[in-house]
Amino acid sequence: MSDAAAAQRPATHITLPALFVAFLKVSLAGFGGPIVWVRRIVVERLGWLDEQEFTDIVGLCQFLPGPNVVCITICVGAKFRGPAGALSALAGFILIPWTLGFAVGALYLEYAHLPALQGILRGVSAAAAGLLIATGLRLLLPHRRRPAALLFAALAFAGLAVAKLPLLLVVAVLVPLSVLAARQARPAAA
Amino acid sequence: MSAPLALVAYLTMLSAISFGGIPSVLPDLHDYVVATHGWISDRDFANCFAIVQAVPGPNMILMMSFIGWKIGGLPTAMASALATFGSPCAIAYAVFGWWDRFRDAPWQQAVRRGLMPVTIGLVVAGGFVMALASDTGWTAAAITLAAIGLLLGTRLNPFWIIGAGGVLGACGLL
Repeated sequence: MSDAAAAQRPATHITLPALFVAFLKVSLAGFGGPIVWVRRIVVERLGWLDEQEFTDIVGLCQFLPGPNVVCITICVGAKFRGPAGALSALAGFILIPWTLGFAVGALYLEYAHLPALQGILRGVSAAAAGLLIATGLRLLLPHRRRPAALLFAALAFAGLAVAKLPLLLVVAVLVPLSVLAARQARPAAA
Repeated sequence: MSAPLALVAYLTMLSAISFGGIPSVLPDLHDYVVATHGWISDRDFANCFAIVQAVPGPNMILMMSFIGWKIGGLPTAMASALATFGSPCAIAYAVFGWWDRFRDAPWQQAVRRGLMPVTIGLVVAGGFVMALASDTGWTAAAITLAAIGLLLGTRLNPFWIIGAGGVLGACGLL
């Protein structure tokens, strides 16, 4: 990315193919949350990033739209090799895993009407929905003493799930208000 | 506008504001493709969600691809994948580097603290809507509740929780 970052860190060994392969592995390891695997491969095994750099990138990606891991992929690739690095890492993450996943999934979908498979899909779907809800609730725990945070989380949930408002409307109204409230909450720092 | 084109355009817009990850687009997208346009059924939507839980890799991108596939075949599947990660990637690339420079700026702290609760609400809404879409009565609701309890209360790998749901479904409980 920046020249300063490149100067600090001799990144010559991090080639475009190496980025491709690393994120291909991250993507295929998949199960149990890919972020765990980014850490294990990029930080522990390859030593490309230290803990702090990794935490910073994850922190940023949690606040950006889209899949968090895709964002991490772009940031790591860009950090070492600029636009070409971002594209290589992204290609590694997407191309082969998408093709494999699509082939397997398309096969399942072809037979989705069979009673046996329908039962499995219903069970999986119900459990996966629960995991999504739990993931959100877990993220909320550190904020449980901030009434404003609870209020905006509840409003976002109600707007989308209960009132069935468009996502664009919910985001456009709640994000500025919530940021404003967070700013008011700490006038000393402002 | 044809259905595939409309879907891809809509996905491009939704993914650009999918704070908290792609699951946050599920309620709106479900409304758009199932209720408003009737392009696919509730069952299909829930199936696309379920199937991608069982494959590693970029699973929410795959889910959008399968919705695209149902609506317009392979070309739409590929375009839907691109629509799902294209705008987030462009945003990530644009923001990376620039974000670091203002790390200690008060406005950035406020943006972090303000965005967080909204993204949480959006993700929970995504799960809630999928629970309703896949709902087949009290047994499905019980599995959803059990999954919530297991993820929050234990250190069990989520993969096993998904697997258990599948096994219970295979036993004909749903």
